[in-house]
Amino acid sequence: MNSKSKLLNNIGNFVIFIGPSLIAFSCVLLIPLIYGVYLTFTNYSPIKLTYEFVGFSNFQAVFTDKEFWQQFVKTLGYVFYSTIFCNVIAFLLAYLLTSNIKARGFLRAGFFTPNLIGGIVLGYIWKFIFANVFTKVGDALGYQPLMTSFLTHPDRAIIAMIIVTVWQYAGYLMIIYIAGFVGIPQEVQEASEIDGATGFKKLCSITIPLMVPSFIICFFIVISRGFMTYDLNLALTNGQPYGSTRLAAMHIYQKAFQANEYGIGQAEAIIFFATVAIVAVSQVLLTKKFEVEA
Amino acid sequence: MKRRLFAMFLMLTVVTMLITACSGTTTGTSTSGTGGDAVGSTGSNTDKKAVKITYFNTSAEVNTMFENMFKRYNEIYPDVTIELIPTGIGEGQQEKLQSLYASGNAPTFMNVDPANVIEYEDHLLEFTEENAPWLSLAADGAVDGGTFGGKVLGAPWSVQGYGLLYNKRVVNEIFGEGNFDPKSINTRDALQAFLEKCEAAGVPGTMLHGANWSLGGHYLTLVYAVQGPKTSDGTGFIDKIKAGTVNIEDNPIFQGYMDTFDLLAKHNYNKADPLVGDFNKDIQAFGEGKCATFFMGDWAWTTMVTLENVDQEYGFIPVPWSNNPDDYGNTEVVMVLPKFQCINKSQSTPEQQQAALDALAWMLSEPEGQQFFIDAGFYMPYKNVRDDVVYNSMTTSISEYAQRGKTINLGCFSYISGDAWTETGNLMLKYLSGAINRDELAQGINNYWKSVK
Repeated sequence: MNSKSKLLNNIGNFVIFIGPSLIAFSCVLLIPLIYGVYLTFTNYSPIKLTYEFVGFSNFQAVFTDKEFWQQFVKTLGYVFYSTIFCNVIAFLLAYLLTSNIKARGFLRAGFFTPNLIGGIVLGYIWKFIFANVFTKVGDALGYQPLMTSFLTHPDRAIIAMIIVTVWQYAGYLMIIYIAGFVGIPQEVQEASEIDGATGFKKLCSITIPLMVPSFIICFFIVISRGFMTYDLNLALTNGQPYGSTRLAAMHIYQKAFQANEYGIGQAEAIIFFATVAIVAVSQVLLTKKFEVEA
Repeated sequence: MKRRLFAMFLMLTVVTMLITACSGTTTGTSTSGTGGDAVGSTGSNTDKKAVKITYFNTSAEVNTMFENMFKRYNEIYPDVTIELIPTGIGEGQQEKLQSLYASGNAPTFMNVDPANVIEYEDHLLEFTEENAPWLSLAADGAVDGGTFGGKVLGAPWSVQGYGLLYNKRVVNEIFGEGNFDPKSINTRDALQAFLEKCEAAGVPGTMLHGANWSLGGHYLTLVYAVQGPKTSDGTGFIDKIKAGTVNIEDNPIFQGYMDTFDLLAKHNYNKADPLVGDFNKDIQAFGEGKCATFFMGDWAWTTMVTLENVDQEYGFIPVPWSNNPDDYGNTEVVMVLPKFQCINKSQSTPEQQQAALDALAWMLSEPEGQQFFIDAGFYMPYKNVRDDVVYNSMTTSISEYAQRGKTINLGCFSYISGDAWTETGNLMLKYLSGAINRDELAQGINNYWKSVK
């Protein structure tokens, strides 16, 4: 009797505390995801009155969509370089800003600010900088590569995307790395110093191994957000020049809503989702291996 | 214990709020779905049921015009309320319309692109002589533009045109006041001589806007439209490319327009960095007279009026594609019906459809309704429009070509989806930047059309 009422009590508690978020999660994430998978097997279009099952033909179409795979590879490259540069710069900034440098608080706030500006606004700001400021500087210096806008050449436009991404996220990651630096136990540091480890040696053998949790989070943030970049892409390049900077998310959007190939777009989105999930999870598992206890 | 009870109470409130919020929206949609909900009736119309209808507008620059129009309409006919669903420039308009349809909240009537009329064909109400007698007032050929598969599904309401805009002040300075006759540009050689004279005077001859909608949606579309004066000439040509029986590179009109394109690219004001594609910057440069001509349409005016220290007088010259002045397209500029008014029948009641028909009749064919469009600077293709209206110089130039019958029928444009001009436009940009040659461009265009079902 007592155990039964306890069980009921537990279930009641569960429903009341987890219920609301579970409902919200199902409504906006779980159900759409499952329904999305279902739609990949149909020729659904919001415009058409009826739709029917088409089996795997949408997935077949994805594998023949050459442009999707080109953009997919391009997205991988974009994510790779963004992750490397974001983390290297964020780590260096955090390293500098935890040492005894002047105006530390001000500099930290300054580097963090870009992250408070949304991707769309950031995109427009940098579009102006690349198109108008850099070109003016190029004209003034007579330096040929700067005279034309970064955004009108396919390779340079991707570089521009990476620059802005690094600018956006480096400050954010820096905060996480600072927390990591501060969290290293004082006694371990002192012990290493007594053992004669200084400077670079201390960084490699003590600081970095103890900061692996920070690395896991920071890599995860840039990788997952990098794959899903859409707002910055839209505002900065909008796929220009000539569609060469359409990252995977934008290509999917274009396919589904502008070419009205909803099923194919959805199938591409599912494949893309699987890839992002695999990359992100394996990154976490892999980096977790380097975790050490102080 | 007390604390736990309080926490439970809090969570319960959240749950109830969630549930009530959800049910709130469902009742909301169901009423708007059935529509025609009775609101207090007024005055003499006591026996008439009040009707609420919605209007979806894709001409984002004139949202306020429609708002004022509907407010006035409600003053005259208090039993009809029209709710505007506005959209912003560059704000996923197609996606918004799709989601309205998919969620069962389709607007009763709407102002959309020709391509949408085809996409939504099954949902739209056909205009007939019985339900829309006022369409007989439309200018010759205007209704044809809104006819798809033998059915009139879209009511025309504005006319736009494009070609090579020229800045009259700049050209007069180069050629001397009154010495330039736009009719003299009727061959590619004449255009070349004109551009070279401008260049010799130190003014770049022309400007190409480095965006895919301009080069793909407007320039390349000329190739299809000039195949013949009938809409079916253009669409038939596209169908042949799709079927693989014709390759675009074998078509003399394509080659002709590309030769002209090379010429324009050579005298392009944006030559150093052709793909910047900053609309405001280009309009500003053209308005300030930094180049003599600009491949653009009369919609440029709406941006031009927002700028300071720019010229006011412009005119159009054709884009000739051959050296024979008698060829179709060499003395004409493009005239297009860029938007249509459509009524939804799949998700609205007969009363709502009737209310929308009445509202359209008032907007498009009665003087008071037309005045709203005229005040906003639109050139309406209706025979009963006031004839004492003074339009801006760009629209005036287009209407002069229309009066002389010197317009290119861009009917086939209606059958080209937005995807077509982004994809082929991107190829044109590649060609302009020199990343591909003309053969590769032609191959790309052929392949695009073959990939479209």
